[in-house]
Amino acid sequence: MGKTMAEKILSRKCGRDVEPGELVVCEVDMTFAHDGTMPLAIQQMKSELGTTKVFDSSKVAGFCDHASPSPSSHISNVHTMMREFARENCIDFYENGDGICHQIVLERYAAPYKVIVGADSHTCTHGVVGAFATGMGSTDVGAIMVYGKTWFKVPESMKIEVDGELGEWVTSKDLFLSVVGDIKADGATYMSMEFLGKCIDDMEVEQRATLTNMAIEAGAKLGLCKADEKVEKFLTEYGREDEFEELYPDDDAEYLTEIFIDAQDIEPMIAYPHRVDNVAPAYEFKGMHIDQVCIGSCTNGRLSDLEIAAQILDGEEVCKDTRLVVYPASRSVFIKAVGRGIIEKLLEAGAAVCAPGCGFCIGRTVALGDGEKALSTQNRNFKGRMGNENAEIYLSSVPTAAASALYGEIVDPREVL
Amino acid sequence: MIIKGKVLRVLPDDTNTDEIISGKYKYDVLDIGKLAVHTFEAIDPSFYRDAKKNPGSILVAGKNFGCGSSREQAPRVLQECDISCIVAESFARIFYRNSFNVGLPIVECKGISAHVDKEDELEIDLDGGKIRNLTKGYELSFKPIPDFMQNLLQAGGIMSYLRKSGGYE
Repeated sequence: MGKTMAEKILSRKCGRDVEPGELVVCEVDMTFAHDGTMPLAIQQMKSELGTTKVFDSSKVAGFCDHASPSPSSHISNVHTMMREFARENCIDFYENGDGICHQIVLERYAAPYKVIVGADSHTCTHGVVGAFATGMGSTDVGAIMVYGKTWFKVPESMKIEVDGELGEWVTSKDLFLSVVGDIKADGATYMSMEFLGKCIDDMEVEQRATLTNMAIEAGAKLGLCKADEKVEKFLTEYGREDEFEELYPDDDAEYLTEIFIDAQDIEPMIAYPHRVDNVAPAYEFKGMHIDQVCIGSCTNGRLSDLEIAAQILDGEEVCKDTRLVVYPASRSVFIKAVGRGIIEKLLEAGAAVCAPGCGFCIGRTVALGDGEKALSTQNRNFKGRMGNENAEIYLSSVPTAAASALYGEIVDPREVL
Repeated sequence: MIIKGKVLRVLPDDTNTDEIISGKYKYDVLDIGKLAVHTFEAIDPSFYRDAKKNPGSILVAGKNFGCGSSREQAPRVLQECDISCIVAESFARIFYRNSFNVGLPIVECKGISAHVDKEDELEIDLDGGKIRNLTKGYELSFKPIPDFMQNLLQAGGIMSYLRKSGGYE
């Protein structure tokens, strides 16, 4: 019987054929946590296992990204505790302004066939290069930091096959929002969501990463794309071509569920409050005033995202009743965006361009006011997510967000650009 | 293991971890006891007080309970609110795993939300896979929890399990 990509990776890791549903213990190639989850992991290692020593310093990393630069003395103390742990263990540690864990893991660590566990739900992002990558809680990750292993239930798999081409100003974000609107927030619970088909083959790794990043929003354990020549090109760009290896599902792989989509049917979409699976086409929200537009996050803060925002905002001005905040996903993204003149265009259009990080998405470094509406390129719009339960969060693609910033209201980018 | 208690709340489908404990607190407050005061704050401000007044209460929920963030603070604050068990139609994956890791019993039982009202008294037999609604007088079955997960609960969570067994082998 053929194997899905998830089954192929775990079978190789376990040295035998594994089947969906069985529990396996296997080694973890890379594990990490951030300022929202690492303190509890360290606390658990210390109090429950009596150690703060990691199993292998080259396989563990820590990130100050969710509340950085630190907005309070409490958080500064948390960062200090993390720095001490990192120093004692000689692990890679990413400081204020280095960027979001998921962007940095993608740039520096993720590779085909690696097993990656992060103490953050969006760790599923790294399946974009063919890694078995999933999020767990602090205690699980604390245990992995000590033992270098963990247990997994081998997941069933769901195939999302997308053929055809996306229309102008329609992106992989719109594609995912449309999928989660159909299958709902628990539609892929515990499954490996595998994105296949010509439309996905045509996308670059950065666009595919939006899909794998959001797999968790449908409940999935993993989001996976093929490790093909696009992945090889991506790894080469970051000087890691030696880590490339092809990964494809077998032709006769067994998927529990198969979904077929024609990319031409996808329209610019909005997820409206307070659930990611509350989805409708952008034109249905036409005219709705937006107080703040946010471009960034582990979903849509990469170079190509900033580039498209700059292209839309070039020579224009953000509506005076609307604020635009932009967070490049990492230092490397920021530097490249400066070099290409992208940041200058965004600044001239009126954007506040902030240090790489993801505090805005969870309301730690920027918060909304009472009754305000935000349109963001992030992945979640839960009540209170951006620091205020009396505010509303709408989610969209970068083109929809950038075009809406110009008009101060939600627009369908196809109608105005 | 048998758990007996009154139902404190019947929660809707897709109750997420941001609702259970807001991200705006979890970075500042590392003490779970202090964090727990904010449990369900934005959607149910009297939750903490009611839970503390009725220790050992049970939560009943719809589909996909605990979806969203990986924050383990979610099952931990519920434990700190003295919730003895959560019964839901289904759970999100990371919340499910986190609950066993911290030693909080949770049960997936199809049909539960249609058969339970607030303040009903339930008796949950974790080994036998039965839930008795003592107030309404009927019984529902659920698929018993896998042995490995039961071992985690009996040990009091993943860390004590690993400490006792000396690792994964």
